[in-house]
Amino acid sequence: MKAELAKFLILFNRGFKQAIRPYMAVVPEFLIPIFYFVVNSAAFQKVASLPGFDQASYLQFYAPVALLVSIFMSSGSTGLETVTDISTGFMDRMFLAPVNRWYIVLSKLLAVGVKSVISLLIMTIFLFLFGTSFHGGIVGFILVLFLALIFAMGWAGIGLSLAFITKNPRILQSSYVFFFPFSFITTSQLPLNLLSGWYKTAVQLNPVTYILEAIRSVLIRGETGYTVALGFLVAILFATATLSLSLWSFKRSVLK
Amino acid sequence: MLYSVHMLKENQAIVVENLSKVYPKNVRAVSDVSFSVKEGEFFGFLGPNGAGKTTTMRMLSTLLKPSSGKVSINGYEIGKQDDWIRCSIGFAMQGVTLDLTASGWENMMLIGTLYELSKKEIEENGKKLLKLLDLEKVASVWVKNYSGGMKKKMDLVIALLHSPKILFLDEPTEGLDPVSRRRVWDYLKELNKKGTTIFLTTHYMQEADYLCDRVAIIDRGQIVKMGDPQELKKEINGSLDDVFIKYTGHSIGEENINKNAPDPYINI
Repeated sequence: MKAELAKFLILFNRGFKQAIRPYMAVVPEFLIPIFYFVVNSAAFQKVASLPGFDQASYLQFYAPVALLVSIFMSSGSTGLETVTDISTGFMDRMFLAPVNRWYIVLSKLLAVGVKSVISLLIMTIFLFLFGTSFHGGIVGFILVLFLALIFAMGWAGIGLSLAFITKNPRILQSSYVFFFPFSFITTSQLPLNLLSGWYKTAVQLNPVTYILEAIRSVLIRGETGYTVALGFLVAILFATATLSLSLWSFKRSVLK
Repeated sequence: MLYSVHMLKENQAIVVENLSKVYPKNVRAVSDVSFSVKEGEFFGFLGPNGAGKTTTMRMLSTLLKPSSGKVSINGYEIGKQDDWIRCSIGFAMQGVTLDLTASGWENMMLIGTLYELSKKEIEENGKKLLKLLDLEKVASVWVKNYSGGMKKKMDLVIALLHSPKILFLDEPTEGLDPVSRRRVWDYLKELNKKGTTIFLTTHYMQEADYLCDRVAIIDRGQIVKMGDPQELKKEINGSLDDVFIKYTGHSIGEENINKNAPDPYINI
């Protein structure tokens, strides 16, 4: 049991190090959400005066989007890292060892989840320095961290699945485009009551909307009720679906 | 003439019976191969590119599931006792199979822990191997900054870290300078003398001639000749190169091209 735990922990440790190396590559993961935050909160500040807009400032409204984007960014390269392991043969090196093969995937997913939680913590400090005020207290913040952990693992699951199915770095690089519909067709720009038509329907169908609203509900409004519970439910369902797909594709590749 | 071997299971490190690998679209990479390797033997597996050497080696090391046939490694049966097999073998693959954004030591710590070695064992074995292969000074540097030869040697360190009973080597000295190659040869000889069974594929006939007690020549997925290199050379009164050309019909650099055959290294 001790040996098994040691194996899982060293794989987790390696997965985490892989996700933050080279260190310079982590910088854009913060620059992009900060860029979105600074530009959008300045460009759309008059939106806050629209009837039906429930926040005093657009900066407050947009801060959770920056946090969400940081989760996307910090977990988005998992597939590419895995394809690198496959193409360099390092995955084979791990397969040659007497280790439960599920540890290899699960430790990586957990490492990415933890990395996203740390990114979210750092982003929160940035946003605070930029003038965002947070509500919801310690409990609310811990809830958001758990939500980030689940969603980051779910998002990483998409990349992992693509990595195992295609084993192709170019496809993984192109899969970055998924980020746009998932992050933009949400309530990131405007609250749901100000949206209309097909766009509103698309926003309601996007699972990320519910995760964003849960973060917004806790951190900006200080509420931990229905919206947060719904956010957790959607995050768990989303993660279950993508992780099942990634584990299935891993099994399919390994057992060839 | 295709080779068939009557296998004596006692003192056999590797026993292969009618091993085949058929890829999708009915591509037969390895076809009904049978041979055995004695404990402590230095065995060479030679063949042109695409002959089935790497596929065979990957099946023997549990990385690839055979389509049919039976394999026993150190007395453990493939497909049933894979973890025991993994504990008892080392494999230095054709490419470099290291974590490039980690140091040599980090690679050793990771792989050593997966083999359930203690930190002390990893450090002791690691230091010895690093010294031997002249990698002590770079052990704390990220592997991506190593030269090709250094990466290859570090790969060998990783394969040997847990002191395996059988060592599989797929082109271990490819890309090494003559001095490093000679040093690796001497080390392998010494390792073999101490009792490690070595299964080697190589493109260098000189290497096979110098190191191997016995060689098998594989062509188009089938073993076409097997024996002691000295006897094989005597048989045709030529070099091992000549033996190779005689039994495969082409020189070592030529390839058997099958467009449908997947690259065995991009097949986890």
